[in-house]
Amino acid sequence: MDTNHRWLLEQLPEWEREGLISREAACTLRDRHQALQAASDSHPGAAQIVLGWLGALLVGLGLIAVIGYNWDHFSRSVRLLFAFIPLLCTQAASFRVIRGSAAVWVCESAALLQALATGACIAIVSQIYNLGGEWTGFLFWWMLLSLPLVWLMRSNAVAVFYLLAIATWSCGRTEAGLAFHDSPMMYPVLLLGVVPWWPGWPLKPRLSVPLRWVMTVSAFCGFFSAAAFVCRDAGRFSATDFGSAFWLTTLTGAVLVLFPLNESGIGESISRKPQVVLGTLWLFGYGLAATFDSLGKGIAKCVERSVSLPWSWGLLAVLAVFVFLGVKKRRWAVLAVASIGLLPLVAFPFGQLVPWIFTLHIGAIGLTLVLLDFCGRRGAPRFGALLLSVLIILRMADSHFSLLAKGVGFIVVGVAFLAFNLLMSRRRHVVRSV
Amino acid sequence: MKMVPLILFGLTVVGQWAVPLAQIRAHEQILARGALIRLKCSAPDPYDPLRGRYLAVRPEQGMAPVLEGQEIRKGGQGYAVLETGNDGLARVLALSSFLPASGDFIRVKAGWRGDRNEQAILWPFDRFYINEKLAPEADEWFRENVRGEQAIVAEVRVLEGRAVLADLTCGGRSFREILKERVR
Repeated sequence: MDTNHRWLLEQLPEWEREGLISREAACTLRDRHQALQAASDSHPGAAQIVLGWLGALLVGLGLIAVIGYNWDHFSRSVRLLFAFIPLLCTQAASFRVIRGSAAVWVCESAALLQALATGACIAIVSQIYNLGGEWTGFLFWWMLLSLPLVWLMRSNAVAVFYLLAIATWSCGRTEAGLAFHDSPMMYPVLLLGVVPWWPGWPLKPRLSVPLRWVMTVSAFCGFFSAAAFVCRDAGRFSATDFGSAFWLTTLTGAVLVLFPLNESGIGESISRKPQVVLGTLWLFGYGLAATFDSLGKGIAKCVERSVSLPWSWGLLAVLAVFVFLGVKKRRWAVLAVASIGLLPLVAFPFGQLVPWIFTLHIGAIGLTLVLLDFCGRRGAPRFGALLLSVLIILRMADSHFSLLAKGVGFIVVGVAFLAFNLLMSRRRHVVRSV
Repeated sequence: MKMVPLILFGLTVVGQWAVPLAQIRAHEQILARGALIRLKCSAPDPYDPLRGRYLAVRPEQGMAPVLEGQEIRKGGQGYAVLETGNDGLARVLALSSFLPASGDFIRVKAGWRGDRNEQAILWPFDRFYINEKLAPEADEWFRENVRGEQAIVAEVRVLEGRAVLADLTCGGRSFREILKERVR
């Protein structure tokens, strides 16, 4: 039993004796907290789920090791039995779980074990028959056959496996000349595989924060490999020209940052929105890199070449829809951040001026993020100030000033940054006390 | 109880059995009814993190001429037309983009294009699984016999263009047995 609930239930008789609360109030509190306790007992903690996963993993690995030790002594049919018996057992366990109302950790363990047994079965069969082929082919069938377990058993563990597997598969299929259905272009379709389990449709519980992170990382890797593939396939991907793929990934970053959210989603803290965190980091990384002379000019050339690719049209179309929705919801801060992805499109006709356009644009975004907060809108003043500082430091670093001038410049920026930080803390304190 | 989850679960179970069973059926058919082809090859010892130790089977003949007037794009499918020599070893006569009407042939993928209308062959079998103890011994055997007369032969069963690697032999003996003896 939860210690808080226990403490409260222990205190009730004493409070009743002392007349602090009436008998009816004590009964109400007792009923209420016993109901809460029952509800919390049916929702296990993370530790319980992790232990369930660990148990399932250890059992699976142990079995593999024991069977593997004697492998050479078995005939082909006995080996095949070893491939199918674990699969059958885990399927039977999952069936029991689906029919009954098992605890969450039991569901998780059963689903994970079944997914592992499926992979083991395919691997053992391909080993017995010395099947050739690439590891991506094996992974593809494994993840596809495990996917229904995500919806049926609402398993986070299998969802994590699926999301990481589709990203890994996509990264492994970037060579030129592959058919559409066998290339990372399939990543968006594969990602849609988790839709029945999505928080917004069919209105199931929200995704946990770790899972959101996994999904975002998977999306980044998957879309990056798709971008690399389309550039390679169009003959645009060479040692000196992978900037095209980077720009397409930057567009993906902008799409992720602007991913439509409902009101409560917009109100959530930034740590619960990995798509915004990772998208912003990527966009600013790209934007700051483009402020350097040689990189900025290179980026302009890459954009010129990749803008004719249908993949970039698709991304731009999605981005246009998301920008419209963002404007409708007045998400000015993320719109400002996402504009970095579109800037190369506007800037590339100016060729030589691209690094300066980026410098001015990122400076303007930094200021916007600061000013939005002062205007009472949702901004990111500290992040804006950090951006301005980084920009000044970068320009100082690649300038021709003397070391002394650069040193003084760094000190001035540092002091200004500290002073702004202090100002923001005081301002927040004043707002809170009001 | 809801029927939809149960039906979905049933379909999942069927899928999870169907994929490996389809593999088994296809390969058992080839092993039982396929013609035996012997290819000279090398077999060093790499490692697959998902499926363990294996010998990378690399047939000695890596390239073959494409039949006159035909073209196979890189990564595209073709047929390796085989001919067995007096020594009992098979070699690829030519690569064809069309299904040959007769004789032994293996469905392969075409690799990069070389000189004189030759193209690289990507064989459909490339690994022979052995256990953790035997795999390093195979490397040792190759080091010792690199200049010797002995050669590794891949025994492949071929049926309607599909090929299954049945065994690796050396001097008529199973290579796996040779390695086991060396380990002992």
